[in-house]
Amino acid sequence: MKIRKFALLVSVVAVCLLLLTLQSRGYGASARDLLALVTTPVQSGVARAHRAAFAVWDTYFDWKNARAENRHLRDENQRLRVEALRVGETEDENRRLRRLLALQARLPLTTLSGEIIGRDWGGWIRSLTVNRGRGDRVPRLTAVISPDGLIGRIVDVRLGASIVQVLTDPASTVSAHLVRTRTPGIVEGDARGTLRFKYMARDAAGIEIGDVLVTSGQGELFPRGIPIGRVQAIDDRGPALFHYAALEPAVDFARIDEVLLVTGETRRDLAAYFATGG
Amino acid sequence: MRALLALTVFGGSVAQATLAPALGVGGVTPDLPLIVVVLLALRRGAEFGCVAGFGAGLLQDAAGGGLIGVQALTKAVIGFAVGAAGARLSVTQPLVQVPGLVLLTIAEGVVRFALLQIFRFPAAFGDVMLYVVLPQALYNGFLGAALVTALACLQSLRARES
Repeated sequence: MKIRKFALLVSVVAVCLLLLTLQSRGYGASARDLLALVTTPVQSGVARAHRAAFAVWDTYFDWKNARAENRHLRDENQRLRVEALRVGETEDENRRLRRLLALQARLPLTTLSGEIIGRDWGGWIRSLTVNRGRGDRVPRLTAVISPDGLIGRIVDVRLGASIVQVLTDPASTVSAHLVRTRTPGIVEGDARGTLRFKYMARDAAGIEIGDVLVTSGQGELFPRGIPIGRVQAIDDRGPALFHYAALEPAVDFARIDEVLLVTGETRRDLAAYFATGG
Repeated sequence: MRALLALTVFGGSVAQATLAPALGVGGVTPDLPLIVVVLLALRRGAEFGCVAGFGAGLLQDAAGGGLIGVQALTKAVIGFAVGAAGARLSVTQPLVQVPGLVLLTIAEGVVRFALLQIFRFPAAFGDVMLYVVLPQALYNGFLGAALVTALACLQSLRARES
């Protein structure tokens, strides 16, 4: 048994040495070619399988990285969106305040700026609460304006705040006239939250859709020339004494945040200080 | 079983040139056929180790582009020696596996270097040992130990199931 073992070893060693000797004498090419017939296809197969396995591995890693990157980018996108909204909001506020301050600076009246801190938009009444009150010496019936036009009047003054009756309040009436034709009338609010212009039939000639209405200054409550709105539709009631025109308000009451309170003298024509387009 | 063993030796040897670089750590690659030959020789004895070593080495030589017969000879000798001594070794202990494979790799390296000297191999012995053989020996030691442990776990699992 032992002899067989060693015979095997000696044979193997002899074959190896023979192979080496043959190669050293330049006869190795055919042996190589013979072995290559077997090894080359297997090597090719193994290399292909190896590449495929690594490709799967790489794809998996790419997918994993892409997923992590996607999550990271989504978070960043969300953060940037919030930031952009914040910046947009700040810019918007900045722009509004600049407009308000510019108006305050150019108006030949004593005004007090205020911030809207509450809204009553139920329908029975339409009012805004402004953060200026008795402490700021705000008188009752003070006109409240914005860079776009008239908002309403103060109807209640409290310690640190005042209630502004908005033009669309059903109880609100303001004397006004059309800029183009000087047709006089009264702007009234109604329960639907819209504005209408009530005027006498005999003055109706020439009123057109798109005409701009401003305060007439009668009664000296509101300064003259503050934009109120634009004619949206005309309700011609034939032989009736009064006709009506539906108005589109100059101010978006639901979105107003900062206002000016006209606390001083009101007998001035402010038409030149507002851009009416009429 | 024999076919599977032959496939292991054959596939492992040919795959060495293709797959071993992928397992490289710091430029050091394991000698997978040597590990396979040693493991087979320990289980199957000197004759099997010798033939497996010869086959594996021959294919490794052919696939790698060196002198055909060098690794066939060294691995056949290693396979024979390990197979002959295997009965006296307790190879399930990692303390035996790791140094055992390290020493065998070094021995294979020394024999290979000696053999190549006949054919005027130009590299210095010290360099070959320090930069090629020793790092590979360490790698083989740990990889072989891991393989033996994994095989032992598989066997114990099978035994439990049966």
